[in-house]
Amino acid sequence: MIVRDMGVRQARKALAAPLRKACLRALSTQPTQPTPTGVVDLTEPTLQSPNVNPQPPSIFNAKIRAPARKKKPAAPDTTVADYKLALEVKNYIGQVGSRVERTYRPGDVFLNPPGPKDVTLELLMASQAHMGHHASLWNPANARYIYGIRQGIHIISLEETAAHLRRAARVVEEVAYRGGLILFVGTRPGQTQIVTQAAKLARACHLFTKWTPGSITNSEVILNGMPMQMLDEHDEPVEGFNRHLTERRPLIPDLVVCLNPMENYVLLHECALVNVPTIGVIDTNAEPTWVTYAIPANDDSLRCLAVIGSVLGRAGQIGHERRISDAKKGIVSWKTPLDVAKFMALERKKAEQQGKAATEASQGRPYVTEEDEAGFDTGFQQSHTTGARSNPELD
Amino acid sequence: MGGQRQVLPGRVYQTVTTLLNHRVIPNVRVQEPVWYKVVQSIPPSEMLTRPLPPQHKAPNPKARRPSRLFQPQEIVYEEDELRTTFYKDHPWELARPRMIIEMDGKDAQRYDWSKGLIQPGMPLCGECVVQRQLWMMHNIPGITKEHAYDTVRKEFYALRQQEEVERRIAKEEAQMVGAYFGKSFLQVGMELEDQQYEQWKKWAGRQIEEVQQERDSAYTSFGDEANPDEIDMDTLTEQAEEVAVERK
Repeated sequence: MIVRDMGVRQARKALAAPLRKACLRALSTQPTQPTPTGVVDLTEPTLQSPNVNPQPPSIFNAKIRAPARKKKPAAPDTTVADYKLALEVKNYIGQVGSRVERTYRPGDVFLNPPGPKDVTLELLMASQAHMGHHASLWNPANARYIYGIRQGIHIISLEETAAHLRRAARVVEEVAYRGGLILFVGTRPGQTQIVTQAAKLARACHLFTKWTPGSITNSEVILNGMPMQMLDEHDEPVEGFNRHLTERRPLIPDLVVCLNPMENYVLLHECALVNVPTIGVIDTNAEPTWVTYAIPANDDSLRCLAVIGSVLGRAGQIGHERRISDAKKGIVSWKTPLDVAKFMALERKKAEQQGKAATEASQGRPYVTEEDEAGFDTGFQQSHTTGARSNPELD
Repeated sequence: MGGQRQVLPGRVYQTVTTLLNHRVIPNVRVQEPVWYKVVQSIPPSEMLTRPLPPQHKAPNPKARRPSRLFQPQEIVYEEDELRTTFYKDHPWELARPRMIIEMDGKDAQRYDWSKGLIQPGMPLCGECVVQRQLWMMHNIPGITKEHAYDTVRKEFYALRQQEEVERRIAKEEAQMVGAYFGKSFLQVGMELEDQQYEQWKKWAGRQIEEVQQERDSAYTSFGDEANPDEIDMDTLTEQAEEVAVERK
């Protein structure tokens, strides 16, 4: 019964090498000769389906030999003709057909990331921010974020989500405005793009691999020798701090945004130990006390996390832009860190002493080597004279 | 590790304020962190309180004392009952594929159920019936639930029939101009069945062969039964001796 279709479907193959009679046994349900095993009953006509006993099509006849395959002559190039025909058909058809609009593409949120102003309950609902976990898995600490139970799962109240998200966005914006170092963390698979996008928008750092335990509490060992940069209020690098940068302690973030707090307990704990505020997406089974600012939302939906990440990233972007525009007007919202200020004061004192010594030497001994001149931290001097840093308040 | 309530994260501001107010080393000045003023002006929300959850059901008047007072309640909508009825009567409607992704979440604002079952951007499905029925129950005075259901159901059947006819005609037209839709489900099913049948036939043949062989071997051990009168005792003893020699 399959032979008929075989002929249609595999005709080319069949023509290329004609099947032997023996091959037919494998292809048809009808045994071509009685089996020597003695299964006689099987070929009883009552057991057979009605369309057995097919006449093998002529292509399976061994007598008809397919012509020996010859090398085909190269087919003429019909590209131009095809193109013209396609154009003609297109002209003839005109605008007939349908156009599919409003299709969902998961990448759209990255092309046009929503900001804090775009947060609506509809957007949150469409991105599945309201779906929590099974009611039996809940953490009772999240009771005030839960709207009710629907089909066995907890439904997160979207009003709470929006309020907390706006609050978190405000925090991110203000910290970015004050020049704080923000870290976006999302270590689940699929969160890489979300985290990098948010960090790119907010000029922040990102982490999408495992948090190395101790990167904050034991940072002198773990982050030893990592490059650092000194920036002025216009976010331009300042020279002359190389000696300080090599001997200072590694930086710790001023704000940590964690998209999956469940897996990053160690990170959050370290942040708590060194008093760093944290923002976390809290599902109904997560512990809201692990973070300073909780955003009750579905942390299993990448679409929801993309919305949250882009909102926070946009908030950081707004803060950064505000800071840069204020800096152009001469308003600097941050203070020089104390260790940097101390370093600057020491350098200044050293430079003054050396200058004094140099003048004395030039009066007494008129030879000053080139190396002595180069020993001054010239970059630092320039940065100081141009007034790049804000005035440190010394104790 | 983890799992327990943490005190520190929610109280970073208070902790740092204390640290700033009480210098550990008197001459060393402590700078306030970048986020200090931010957290001061935007404090974290209240946590770990369990307010009365949103109430979705009327309290049971027969209940003597409240139970599960501080646990989230089951959310109940008016459509639930209608939906249950419809899908109980038309279970195969559940087998139709359905799009559950929303673009901007404002789909429901574009629907106007006074205009019928067909709405922009929504294929005809059971949800249309439920929503239209609900609209009728709310907007047509004096209509009962059953009456509304009956009316909408009939509209739905007519539209489904129309869809079916359109599909059939489209297929016929396409086949007319040379479309080929491949094998039907029945054909595929028959082929799979045949395949299994062939396999079984091979297996059964092998089994029968094995049984036959076993039986044959059992018979051959007796060999050709010789007439006991014609056995030559000398040859037998010779054979036995030969065997004995070989063993040695």
